[in-house]
Amino acid sequence: MIQKAKELLLNPWFQLVLSVLFVTTSEVFLKRGAVEAPRLPEEVNWTGVSGLASPDVWYGILFVIASFISWLYVLRFIPLTIAFPLSNFVHVLVPLASWFFLNEHISVQRWCGIALVLLGVLIVAKPVARMEEKL
Amino acid sequence: MTPFSALLIFVALILFVLAQLFLKHAMEDDLRSARFKKNFAVGLSTMTVSFFITLGLLQHFELSYLYPFQGLSVVIISLLAAAILREKLTPRLFFGAALISAGVVLVSLS
Repeated sequence: MIQKAKELLLNPWFQLVLSVLFVTTSEVFLKRGAVEAPRLPEEVNWTGVSGLASPDVWYGILFVIASFISWLYVLRFIPLTIAFPLSNFVHVLVPLASWFFLNEHISVQRWCGIALVLLGVLIVAKPVARMEEKL
Repeated sequence: MTPFSALLIFVALILFVLAQLFLKHAMEDDLRSARFKKNFAVGLSTMTVSFFITLGLLQHFELSYLYPFQGLSVVIISLLAAAILREKLTPRLFFGAALISAGVVLVSLS
């Protein structure tokens, strides 16, 4: 059981999935935290530092760090020409998460863009999946 | 958009791309070697500079205006990884990357 979990954690493809999920989670936390942050005087408001008063922003930062560590592990094993396009799956997940968790509206044109990104990710992922099966 | 802000957008994009290439190059090395440390440090600092330039740009432009330029990074990183890191870039991979770039641009235009 522990052996299985260890194998999964050391699998770069699993880490790529984790990295994408961490980025999505961090974006939702950061957005929630940024909104509930206290408004500072005009002169310092643009920096976004007031967001640090919100616990949600700190959760967001933790997830950003986690995603970066996963990404570094991915880079060790997967070529950039494959890993980077696949990591753009966040452009599908973040709008969906904003829609689901933050009740944001998604326009038709945006749905089309999301579908295009999804199609591109599938095109990159398919030969890789076949390659992995053979191994 | 002034020529100066256009330059900043370009620099932020190039630095982001360079950071990915340096980090990739570093992570393939022996993690205790001096070469790893050098490449990793360059990757991390270019990423940091790119982050702060982008943050500064966000104060002057809408996110949806800056986003399409980030979308281009997919295609640029694929091309440079093939050219500099000698990675294999099949027509299929390039087509996938181009679709993703187009999708990101479309998402941000709406």
